[in-house]
Amino acid sequence: MKTLGKTILLAALAWAASAHAVFAPGEKVIVLNSGDGSISIVDPVSRKEEKRVPVGKEPHHLMATPDNKELIVANASSNDLVFLDPKTGDILRRVPGISDPYQIAYSPDRKWFVSASNRLDRVDIYHGADFRLAKRLPTGKVPSHIAFSADSKLAFVTLQESNEFITIDLGKQEIVWTMPTGKQPAGIWMTPDDRHLLVGITGESHLEIYDWRARRMVKRILTGLGAHNFVARGDGRHVFLSNRMANTISMVDQQTLEVKETFPVPGGPDCMEITRDGKQLWTTSRWIRMVTVVDLETKKVLHQIPVGKSPHGLYFQSHAPRQ
Amino acid sequence: MDPLTDFLLDAGAFATTLWAQIHAALFESVVQPAVFRLGMVTWLEGAFDATEIFMIGAFEIVVLAAVLGALEKWRPVETWEDRRPVRVDVAYTLLVRLGVLPLAIFFLLLPVVDGLDGWLRMQDFIPPKLEDAVPGLLAHPFASFLAYLVALDFVLYWLHRAQHGSGFWWALHAVHHSQREMTFWTDDRNHLLDMVITDLVLAIVALFIGVAPGQFVAIVAVTRAFESLSHANVRLAFGRVGERLLVSPRYHRVHHAIGTGHEGRAKGCNFAVLFPVWDHLFGTASPVREFPATGIRDQLEGRDYGDGFWRQQWLGLKRLAGRA
Repeated sequence: MKTLGKTILLAALAWAASAHAVFAPGEKVIVLNSGDGSISIVDPVSRKEEKRVPVGKEPHHLMATPDNKELIVANASSNDLVFLDPKTGDILRRVPGISDPYQIAYSPDRKWFVSASNRLDRVDIYHGADFRLAKRLPTGKVPSHIAFSADSKLAFVTLQESNEFITIDLGKQEIVWTMPTGKQPAGIWMTPDDRHLLVGITGESHLEIYDWRARRMVKRILTGLGAHNFVARGDGRHVFLSNRMANTISMVDQQTLEVKETFPVPGGPDCMEITRDGKQLWTTSRWIRMVTVVDLETKKVLHQIPVGKSPHGLYFQSHAPRQ
Repeated sequence: MDPLTDFLLDAGAFATTLWAQIHAALFESVVQPAVFRLGMVTWLEGAFDATEIFMIGAFEIVVLAAVLGALEKWRPVETWEDRRPVRVDVAYTLLVRLGVLPLAIFFLLLPVVDGLDGWLRMQDFIPPKLEDAVPGLLAHPFASFLAYLVALDFVLYWLHRAQHGSGFWWALHAVHHSQREMTFWTDDRNHLLDMVITDLVLAIVALFIGVAPGQFVAIVAVTRAFESLSHANVRLAFGRVGERLLVSPRYHRVHHAIGTGHEGRAKGCNFAVLFPVWDHLFGTASPVREFPATGIRDQLEGRDYGDGFWRQQWLGLKRLAGRA
């Protein structure tokens, strides 16, 4: 028993040391509990929720500001943005008057801040510098995720219930073309070479790959039921895709446009973060009110951390590069 | 922390985890595959919430049946040999509390409310919320919940006044009041059109005061639990002070009383749903302190309001058309 005890202790110490190595001292993991309007502040070393703070109504997605100095939480039902300290999750300020912000994104040149109004079928374009509304664009049904061309001229937005994605010319601020897709497209991802758009087809079991300049689909790849959302592995080559209904995550090679592997992750995996060292994947498990941590070497679930209701977006500062 | 606080926190965490696991298991094994087969994946989150509404309803029914059923056995106001009318109310309760009717109404009303909301945004109008007026509520979810509970209860009071005051609406609302064997099951006995109108008004009010969907579910669950109690066939009052704070079975029974519940200047009395303060403020509180028989006066003269679910619904429509 003594040997077993020592082994467990050593393993725990090794984990703590590795967690410390990845995360900066005092750094927290920030999780949006969309169902109860709060953020969970999780300590990545002890793997415990330290506190739960009310943030607004229906916070679904979050992102860092382009200078990485603040973290923006989009409260869809509160019609506002809340800015947090990206390291600790402390609330810094609130920007009201942002209509139904569901998904949010800055254009690469930081000129535009785009917000998809999932419930009200609009895409709103704000000036990136001061959140002044530039254009409110009526769209098809249920606009969801957002991607951009590298030159910031075009924004691509999936329309989940119209089974298509739209392309918005950010200069003209109008929809310039529309592409039909499979059922309920959600996540949309631009490959680092700016050539292909990957679209997660949540109503089916695959992702679709589009040559957006030629405006045609070039490939369809099976991944898993409910193919949904993307995050970069950080090596410039691979991207992870969560399959919400299959309870799996697939890793896709963006050069060969093939699935390299698919591994199980329970509880309806949704948004993801990869640690800077590329060793861990953190994901929100929507249905089981947990954050799940996966070891990317063994593909085993390392930990499940209880958080609030319907956890959706998550963030930590020591994340892998976004491409 | 003291041992008792520790124990309560642990018990709370255990209950929350257990509830979440049941919710996830039910959703992933039954609801999610059905939603996928129906091609409604966009509604996945809504279906997840609906699954919990079903669970809350089922839990509520079991607890209310146990607690209020025991109260009704302990000190019943009335006893009946033929309990068939009560069984019809049980059917209403199952349809409402397990989410069948609310779900149908939700899909009916959603395009209306979202259409209105979307149109307002295009006019550069973002509906306000209580937190805009009282920013302190943002950091205090429970205070926010209470504020919205009181606000919606106030709206329900005036809706209830309109259900009695308008001849059109009374034709429908009479379904609820025609129960002469009133029990805790009676709360959900309503005409479907009455439910649609009430829910539409509530949804629009909720839009304009900023009730979040999660808050709305909690408010409805709490309100319904109290409404079940207030309809119970039990000789229970809350005392001189308590009767002014919260609607009791005695207080609400007077609202259902033959001869006093639907007559007079306001076409009734004791309209409050949760908080009697509205009746006292607007002069509709009844001084009656008894446990009268329930029903509508013209039932004594033989007017038929129907025995079964479909007959009650049909006669409601006929009254609306002036043909019953």
